[in-house]
Amino acid sequence: MGTAISRTKNRTKNRAEKRTEKRTPGGRRSARPDRAAWTFLLPFVALFLFTFVLPLGYAVYQSMLKPVRSGPLGLGPATVGFAGLDNYSLALQQSAFLESFARVLLFGVVQIPVMLLLATALALALDTLSHRWAGVLRAAYFLPYGVPGVIASILWGFLYVPGVSPVVDLLGRVGLAPDFLGYDNVLWSIANIVIWEFAGYNMLVIVAQLKAIPQELYEAARIDGAGAWQTAIRIKLPLARPALVLTGVFSIIGTLQLFAEPLVIKPLTSSVTSSYTPNLSAYNEAFANNNIYLAAAESVILALVASVLSFGFLSLVNRGKGRDAR
Amino acid sequence: MNSSPPSRRSVLRWGAGATGALATLPALTACGQTVGAARTTRQAATRPGQKVNLVFWTWVPMQKTVDLWNRTHPDIHVEMQTIPQNVQGGYQKMHASLTAGNPPDLAQVEYHELPGFMLVNGLTDLSAYGADELRDSYVPWQWNQGVFDGRVRTIPQASGPMGLFYRKDLFEKWGIETPATWAEFEQAARVVKARGGGARLCTFAPNQPSWFAAMCWQRGARWIRTEGDDWIVDMNSDLSREVADFWERMVRDDLVFVGPDMSSAWFRQVQTGQISAWVGPQWGDAMLRSNAPGTKGKWRVAPLPQWTRGDNASANWGGSSTAILQGTRHPREALRFAHWVNTDPEAVDLNISVGYGWPAAAGVFRGSALDKPDPFFGGQRYNDVFTASDRAIDTSWKWSPTTDADFAQFGDAFGAAMAGGGSLAATLAGAQKNTVDNLLAKGLKARSA
Repeated sequence: MGTAISRTKNRTKNRAEKRTEKRTPGGRRSARPDRAAWTFLLPFVALFLFTFVLPLGYAVYQSMLKPVRSGPLGLGPATVGFAGLDNYSLALQQSAFLESFARVLLFGVVQIPVMLLLATALALALDTLSHRWAGVLRAAYFLPYGVPGVIASILWGFLYVPGVSPVVDLLGRVGLAPDFLGYDNVLWSIANIVIWEFAGYNMLVIVAQLKAIPQELYEAARIDGAGAWQTAIRIKLPLARPALVLTGVFSIIGTLQLFAEPLVIKPLTSSVTSSYTPNLSAYNEAFANNNIYLAAAESVILALVASVLSFGFLSLVNRGKGRDAR
Repeated sequence: MNSSPPSRRSVLRWGAGATGALATLPALTACGQTVGAARTTRQAATRPGQKVNLVFWTWVPMQKTVDLWNRTHPDIHVEMQTIPQNVQGGYQKMHASLTAGNPPDLAQVEYHELPGFMLVNGLTDLSAYGADELRDSYVPWQWNQGVFDGRVRTIPQASGPMGLFYRKDLFEKWGIETPATWAEFEQAARVVKARGGGARLCTFAPNQPSWFAAMCWQRGARWIRTEGDDWIVDMNSDLSREVADFWERMVRDDLVFVGPDMSSAWFRQVQTGQISAWVGPQWGDAMLRSNAPGTKGKWRVAPLPQWTRGDNASANWGGSSTAILQGTRHPREALRFAHWVNTDPEAVDLNISVGYGWPAAAGVFRGSALDKPDPFFGGQRYNDVFTASDRAIDTSWKWSPTTDADFAQFGDAFGAAMAGGGSLAATLAGAQKNTVDNLLAKGLKARSA
């Protein structure tokens, strides 16, 4: 059995090698297509500069400023002065801000694996299901993604509030008294909302990858005597790896961007603080405390952490992949 | 396309130049750049017969009042836009519009937010447009909430003198006398817990630091004062701690519910009689009336319980002004509307009907919609209680220009203390430190008392 599977694997590898060989004979490309490529890339580069690099640069610039007050009690006109890294040190001294990072990391460590496992299981199940039902179910699972995060949070919020929620009522009647909005539980209640929203979406990405697997591989596996389970574990999962990596990166970034869900749940419970997530903290600093310079510093720190984590994850999984190929 | 690669030296020189330019960039652009409102108020010239349009942001459903103005003042049209309530988005919107330079002409701003708006130069100097002459039309302390450095900055709208809303029917059922002191209040809570079958006297809302501030206000604490150019923060006084200890005991002994008030869960408890009292402000009448219509006739209002029997100390919760934001092109017209909407008897009656609070206009109470027996409160002339409460408020209380942030952190700490078994009184020290930090971060001079 084991040899049969490895034979299938070898066949896959040979096929992949053949394909790359076919592409190379063109040799070195001339300069002209290069220029054409740049022309096509220009709109993207322009957009990237204006919507990403420029705002980021501006945030970095803002983060190094501070107000300089004048007049009695400092209520007179104020000017902007240079703060150096003061705002960064201030942000890093705020325990609530640091705790918010710990909170989203804990959230991510639990929520991402649960969601991706669910998405993968759903994708594999749908992939083996007969076609008509698969389509209907796929649409149904994907549906929550069409509901905006704010609406989803309001919806689930009502299901969490005691006295209003039929779920809490029912559970109360059988002797359980779940406190979905309590201090220790609310993070997982939010995780539940996020899983509900995005599991279907991630499932779709994985399903698309599974669809791209050539049918011959399955035939070969069947001939080699692999059952549905073996095929899923030994063929589908390894080949769906790029999709899993992609959804993993998306989820890491999404976790750090956690914002709408806690913001909507906040009025329902005092367990969600005003700096529950790094995003909420920056938002609160910018708009409630009206201190855009500190908010800019917090945003830059968040961007740094997000890039370190997502690139770190990518290099981690790519290193593994490189060893595999060898 | 045969250029030789640039020498190492020239690269270094370019690099040094670029870093130099980057380093001077903030200094250059920051110089002379001001903080806060992007646009200053300037009266636009109007031709005779020209209709002026004003935009008014508020969360009180005052559309009927605005309609009345539009009917009776054809030359000035006011468009009311409903915004999210206070810190739930309203102020965020205002601050963003001020920074962007497209503010509304008028906006509802609570008294405790005014110093924060002053800090960003967000309020028009109304003395320049003759506002000082309107002074006598308003209750002095409410008027003074909007006076900074001798200049009028806003027109007061309403305040929130506090009292005790309670369910007369339930109190009678459980044999509870209306509590006159906080000790009796605690006793009443014990009775409700014993006889109420799962009900509690009231809710302690960790999300409501402004309510807790009012409790400390009544006790005689003063959270902020100024000395010269310094802001002195004094939240951790013995008096505040006494209030914190009282409510902590109520929570620890399970005599009150803990959770956000004026939320869907809270309203549900009010509707079903799970909650039989609310230490609330005058504007709370509209809250109860509209969210628990089924309890009509069962409520009464009593004076705020006292710390010492026979005392007569009161406090204020909330209270708003009609601010004319910096950057309007029609300050004169906006001022006319702001004065009318807060003093015209018909307008005040309409405002009262939608629960805008205790009028800041002097002498409008007698004969107004407030001055009538109310069926929701079993025919009680309940506003007599708030009239007395209003007179008993110590009006020396001051607010910090960082109230929003202070309260946000305070609420967080309260929530954490409730959940983690920490003490409420202990959070006061943290709140005091946070407030000083917030003031310092704004570039102000501040220290702990």
